[in-house]
Amino acid sequence: MENLRMRSIVALFFMAICLVWVAPNVLNTDKVWWPSQKRLNYGLDIQGGLHLVMGVDVAGVVREGTTRLITGLTAELTRDGSTVQSIAPGATEGQIEIALGAANHDKVNKLVEERYSTVLQKMNDADGKLTYRYFDAYLHDYKSKVIQQAIETIRNRVDEFGVAEPSISQQGEDRILVQLPGMADAEKAKQLINTTAKLDFMLVEERPPAELQALVEAAEKAGNYNLGTLKYSEYITRLNKDLQGKIPAKTQILFEKNENAATLEVGKMPFLLHGDTNLGGDSISDAFVHFDQYGAPEVSLRFSASGATLFKNLTGQNKGHRMAVVLDRVVKTAPVIQNEIPNGEAVITLGGGRDRDKKMEEAKMVSTSLRAGALPAALEQLEERRVGPTLGADSIHKAQMASYIGALLIVLFMLARYRGMGVISNITLGLNVVAVLALLTSLGATLTLPGIAGIALTVGFAVDANVLINERMREELRHGASFSLAVKEGYAKAMSAIMDANITTACTACVLYYFGTGPVRGFAVSLLIGIITTLFANVFVSKVLVDTLVHKFGMKKLSV
Amino acid sequence: MATQVAQQESFGRFDFVSKVGLFGGLSAVIFILSFVYLAVRGITYGIDFVGGTEIQVKFGSPVTIDQLRKLTDGMSLNNVHLQGFGDQNEFIIRFQTATGKTEKEINDLQNQSVAKLKEAIATQLGSSQPEIRRVDSVGPQVGAELKRNGFLAVFYCLLVILIYVALRFDYKYSPGAVICLFHDAVITLGIFVAVGKEVNVPILAAILTLIGYSLNDTIVVFDRIRETEHAFRSKGMGFVINRAINDMFERTLITSGTVFVSAICLYFFAGGTVSDIAFAICIGIIFGTYSSIYVAAPLILLMEKFNLNPKAA
Repeated sequence: MENLRMRSIVALFFMAICLVWVAPNVLNTDKVWWPSQKRLNYGLDIQGGLHLVMGVDVAGVVREGTTRLITGLTAELTRDGSTVQSIAPGATEGQIEIALGAANHDKVNKLVEERYSTVLQKMNDADGKLTYRYFDAYLHDYKSKVIQQAIETIRNRVDEFGVAEPSISQQGEDRILVQLPGMADAEKAKQLINTTAKLDFMLVEERPPAELQALVEAAEKAGNYNLGTLKYSEYITRLNKDLQGKIPAKTQILFEKNENAATLEVGKMPFLLHGDTNLGGDSISDAFVHFDQYGAPEVSLRFSASGATLFKNLTGQNKGHRMAVVLDRVVKTAPVIQNEIPNGEAVITLGGGRDRDKKMEEAKMVSTSLRAGALPAALEQLEERRVGPTLGADSIHKAQMASYIGALLIVLFMLARYRGMGVISNITLGLNVVAVLALLTSLGATLTLPGIAGIALTVGFAVDANVLINERMREELRHGASFSLAVKEGYAKAMSAIMDANITTACTACVLYYFGTGPVRGFAVSLLIGIITTLFANVFVSKVLVDTLVHKFGMKKLSV
Repeated sequence: MATQVAQQESFGRFDFVSKVGLFGGLSAVIFILSFVYLAVRGITYGIDFVGGTEIQVKFGSPVTIDQLRKLTDGMSLNNVHLQGFGDQNEFIIRFQTATGKTEKEINDLQNQSVAKLKEAIATQLGSSQPEIRRVDSVGPQVGAELKRNGFLAVFYCLLVILIYVALRFDYKYSPGAVICLFHDAVITLGIFVAVGKEVNVPILAAILTLIGYSLNDTIVVFDRIRETEHAFRSKGMGFVINRAINDMFERTLITSGTVFVSAICLYFFAGGTVSDIAFAICIGIIFGTYSSIYVAAPLILLMEKFNLNPKAA
């Protein structure tokens, strides 16, 4: 038979690859060297876990951003001496309308063009009214930053929780899919995710720590509560309510986690803070870890145009005071303001006396906090699915049992009906299933219940392919063909039906993948993989096997 | 006697085509009945598509459904549905989200209800060792979107098949393939609703699966018809179809039979969602097999007639 050697090599090669991929699922390959260490992931519906779809209020953030920009612009115009009648957001998203008298028209126009050349484009200029809107690219960029930041925030919080292999990804335009496998304490994780990161800069009102500590303890004793019994946010609210009158007006007490303590509950250090700086996370455009001239880590932060102005005033007026960076009402760091910072670029140097690793860790933590607070988008929970681990184990166990019985019946039937060729069919069916699992493993796909339905479907197709071939061979034999001719014709003639059936199915699988979400996609992926493996195992390999038997081992006839 | 023998030799054991009127009519009736039934009764969508919450709870010691009902009645939940299943200590509590407010409010409300219900179960039935095994809570807008995407996917699938079959075979085969799939999907959905099962995302996957099977079956039959057509074109399309279906008959029964057997195993032994999927597939296989013979093939005849008429006129 032509190319039999070549085809055998190809078949063996791919079978070996399948074996390499599938092995880590059944054998413990941790200790020994093995080319692939990937294992098949099970979906949350099988292994249990928490699945959340969060909506991100992107439009809200854009609206807020516009308001902020208007505030900044108003300030700049006032300083410039060009008063206008009003600046207001326009009807559509990201539009700003400036109503002005004829007098300042050119001045305003020039100022906006100079200072906001990368942000705003002029839409309309008529009847003493200037209409601007964000550049599309800018708006698009802005929105994607909002989503990315929200994802980052969620990831930070989930990481704090120590969940193994969390998956946090964007879904559609303004949604985030959070998948936490095997989550024992789903409720806590959910709460953690559901809050919005809020960053504030607050001026520290210096008081001896002992005095504050005493105040806090007195309030706790009077109200009979502490941080252990209440959630942090509730505790803070309660505490500050109780302390009203005892601390100056417009100040509040917030805490920093002692760096040596494991939790805030054990080691909390109180700060008395002024809450009216107006400078929030929204004023920051970026924050990152940076190294000073001696290589010590520090945090660099860059303020937005409007933020820079606020920051300049704030630092100018409060030289020598400490300013606290507060994320989600927890003080992260409280550096001393050394000088007025005019250009909107600040550096937070970290306290000395510690080793570099610790400093590095702190720098990372502070810069992430700053960034997470920079774009605080409100999150809204749209979907929640939670599967307890026992249910998942139950369903996989039962489904396994049922598939074994079904598979056994198919194997027995194929043997009874086709005997010799039945053995070949069964071997290739087994190979097909192994190949599907191997490909799923190597692609890092996640096996869900609909995914298993997809595999069941492809097994059905594979059986059909073998039935088509075997029936065709019988037909040829009935018409008086020799066995080797029957093999040749059987495979050749069954091919067109098999190809057509699989190609149409592949087309539908592609459509499903494109339009489907989550579970439907899983189904489509297994289906596509199954089609490839069916063509490989049940058509290609099975032909190689039969040809080898006939031409290599001189088998005259194989019962069919 | 002689003619009968000759006939047997020509197109095989069964004369499918002569009964096309009967079975085709029957199919049309069942299809229309299912369609009307679905239109009047409406598809019972599960929470995946309409939004709402489903909580599955298992108790360590016996709890009656009345106890559970008493608990939920006191909570002003919307449209509560209780269902015991598996062994008697396992229940599904399902409720709809309150409507008529903004989407954000609905979402918040829903999350609150879930939390409240879970707490109530933990406190009031705490002595029966409750274990919350599954919580599915879907907001209304996500549900609507899942529904739209799911049905769009099915629609585009049918469209792609229509085009592929027209290109690969002949345009006269196309309507048969698509109508046949539509026929199967509608009837299965009809039966599903009739036995009181809900349509959720996994069921949509099941319907997609059966469309896959039915398509596979139809294409295999079409392929054989095309092959037979080359050799026996002169004997007329009726003869060709008869012969092709007869030639394929054993294969059709074997394939459908094996898949049916494995699906039935899943239906009986797997339980839960997988059982529902298997149920849909079992029905689908029966109608899928039947429809490739009595829906898809006769439509080729019909298309052929349309095709010939203008020439005759």
